[in-house]
Amino acid sequence: MAVMNIVQAVKRALDEEMARDERVVVLGEDVGKRGGVFLATEGLYQKYGPDRVIDTPLAEAAIIGAAVGMAAHGLRPVAEIQFADYVFPGFDQLVSQGAKLRYRSGGQFSAPMVVRMPSGGGVKGGHHHSQSPEAYFAHTAGLKVVIPSTPSDTLGLLKTAIRDDDPVVFMEPKRLYRAIKEEVPDEEFTIPLGKARVRREGKDLTLIAYGGPTVEALEAAGELEKAGVSAEVVDLRSLVPWDKEAVLESVAKTGRALVIAEAPRTASFASEVAATIMEELLDQLLAPVYRVTGFDTPYPYVPDRQYMPTVTRILNFAKKALDY
Amino acid sequence: MIKDTWKFEPFTEEPIRLIDEAGNWIADFPLDLKEEALKKLYRDMVRGRLLDERYQIILRQGKASFVAPSAGHEAAQAGMAMAIRPGSDWLFPYYRDKTLLAAIGYPVEMLYAQMMATRLDPNKGRQMPEHPGLKELNVYTVASPIASHVPPAVGAAISMKIQGTGQVVLTTFGDGATSEGDWHAALNFAGAQGAPIVFAAENNRYAISVNFEKQSGSPRISDKAHAYGFPGYHVDGMDVLASYYVAKEAVERAREGLGPSLVEFLVYRYGPHSSADDDRVYRSREEVEFWKKKDPIPRFERFLEKQGLWTPEEGERLREEIKAELLAAEEKAEAAGPVPPEWMFDDVYGTPYWLLEEQRQILLSEL
Repeated sequence: MAVMNIVQAVKRALDEEMARDERVVVLGEDVGKRGGVFLATEGLYQKYGPDRVIDTPLAEAAIIGAAVGMAAHGLRPVAEIQFADYVFPGFDQLVSQGAKLRYRSGGQFSAPMVVRMPSGGGVKGGHHHSQSPEAYFAHTAGLKVVIPSTPSDTLGLLKTAIRDDDPVVFMEPKRLYRAIKEEVPDEEFTIPLGKARVRREGKDLTLIAYGGPTVEALEAAGELEKAGVSAEVVDLRSLVPWDKEAVLESVAKTGRALVIAEAPRTASFASEVAATIMEELLDQLLAPVYRVTGFDTPYPYVPDRQYMPTVTRILNFAKKALDY
Repeated sequence: MIKDTWKFEPFTEEPIRLIDEAGNWIADFPLDLKEEALKKLYRDMVRGRLLDERYQIILRQGKASFVAPSAGHEAAQAGMAMAIRPGSDWLFPYYRDKTLLAAIGYPVEMLYAQMMATRLDPNKGRQMPEHPGLKELNVYTVASPIASHVPPAVGAAISMKIQGTGQVVLTTFGDGATSEGDWHAALNFAGAQGAPIVFAAENNRYAISVNFEKQSGSPRISDKAHAYGFPGYHVDGMDVLASYYVAKEAVERAREGLGPSLVEFLVYRYGPHSSADDDRVYRSREEVEFWKKKDPIPRFERFLEKQGLWTPEEGERLREEIKAELLAAEEKAEAAGPVPPEWMFDDVYGTPYWLLEEQRQILLSEL
């Protein structure tokens, strides 16, 4: 068992998959000798060479678009977008080309590729280094969307994403890159997409979260325990496909749910989860399902942390649900 | 083997032309195409023109909802088709390439099936007409967003280079595409990588109604290649032999490891942009008539006649033969029957997803 953080888990996943399958290539800005601005590809260029670790021009449309063509032609590209906030010039390539290639060709072509991007706030980066744009991608049929929150999940899910036959948007909560360390098994493992993980068991209230705020959800659950409330924490890990079964199972047990995410609330994935719970479990709910999310403002530089769903905000909504 | 001499100079101000309007061979090198190849070029052009005419008919019959007329583009497309290795090289076409696709062997009944969304369309009727694609021949399925297929074309070419497959990518687009950011990003990346790709602009001088003068301050699209570090060729795209020979040279350069080329084929679109367009509001009939006098098909007939390879009677016989072939293909495509609605849930992902299964049941309950 080695202790590692999320960046190290990304690097290990890439390294293992590149060693396993020579079709796997990495491309993006600064991914070569520099090893990526967050060092997630550090050492890969030296190990696998410039044909498999490709420094690209500074153009996200070229990075994602080329990845689509490489994938269609038989490679397994893993594209890095330096920050999720910079994916938008490549948006058309993802939604018009990558997402729809299998469908529009009647299954003749496909784009087995991963687009990795650090997302979320908490790094004092203002709105152009802090956003959580997952809803745009979850809204696009043909894309899969994965957002891990621990080193071992990052390792197992990224390996699965690389082996997946469809385009996967893999969002890495950058504020957790080096904030969480845990022991990860030395032997190889993968984790299937679309399976949530119960991070903490409880019976009074379900906190459904993914990515960065999973940390605050767990902390809030700890606070609630002190007040005699037993909260279950479900980490979605993957938004497309998402694990409805696990969510409904937990909420059927607790009767109360908060859906916690950093992204703004309007038309968010949190809204999708909340609506589904209410459609399917209305008669078992003891309170409305509340969405505890980022605000519907651009992500502010100041106050950085208070934009995100803080422990205080989660506890306030938990009280609302418990008192309903 | 790297050649030290090539036939064509890049960045000429005047278009490269090998046969004049009267049908004379005016090149400074000998014609080395056999009779069979010349006849194939002619046949491909005529088939493209007749197919375009038939599409207008199925549109009026209500069997197709849309047509993108391609009359006037035949010489450039037939020339390009003969410059690549179909089934080995990859083609990333746009929506006005029916001559090109039929010429590389895309079964015409499948083109019709795509037009009419019948079961014979390998793309399963997922897109509006004029959006074909065929994996078997490495024809990447057409997408509507202009120039969005150009970055993937570059990616495929980089993959060919990395894997050393000896393949080449040919990608086509109209003049309007050259204004898109993705087009620039793609050519720039291809230049940096030295990717084996030929970028082919079918410059018909109009992006729907906007003429080339409003599209760009550059006098020529080919000039833009200079900035990306590879050759740009300015070609009379209504001269099928110029189109073939220049495309061939660009493909050979790519195959020999010399990287990308941009080839601008000057053509003219005789019809409107699409069946939803009225071109009378933005260009005069005199202008269209002027270009019709330069029609690439009669021009090549004059050439063939001088070579002793064509008579009006032979031309008429060929037309009748092709018309019969097209009609048979159309009937075959139609007989396959319409794509069933429940197919809409297939091929979203390669693996099943409970969400789509739930929604499939909703649809089935409505049928």
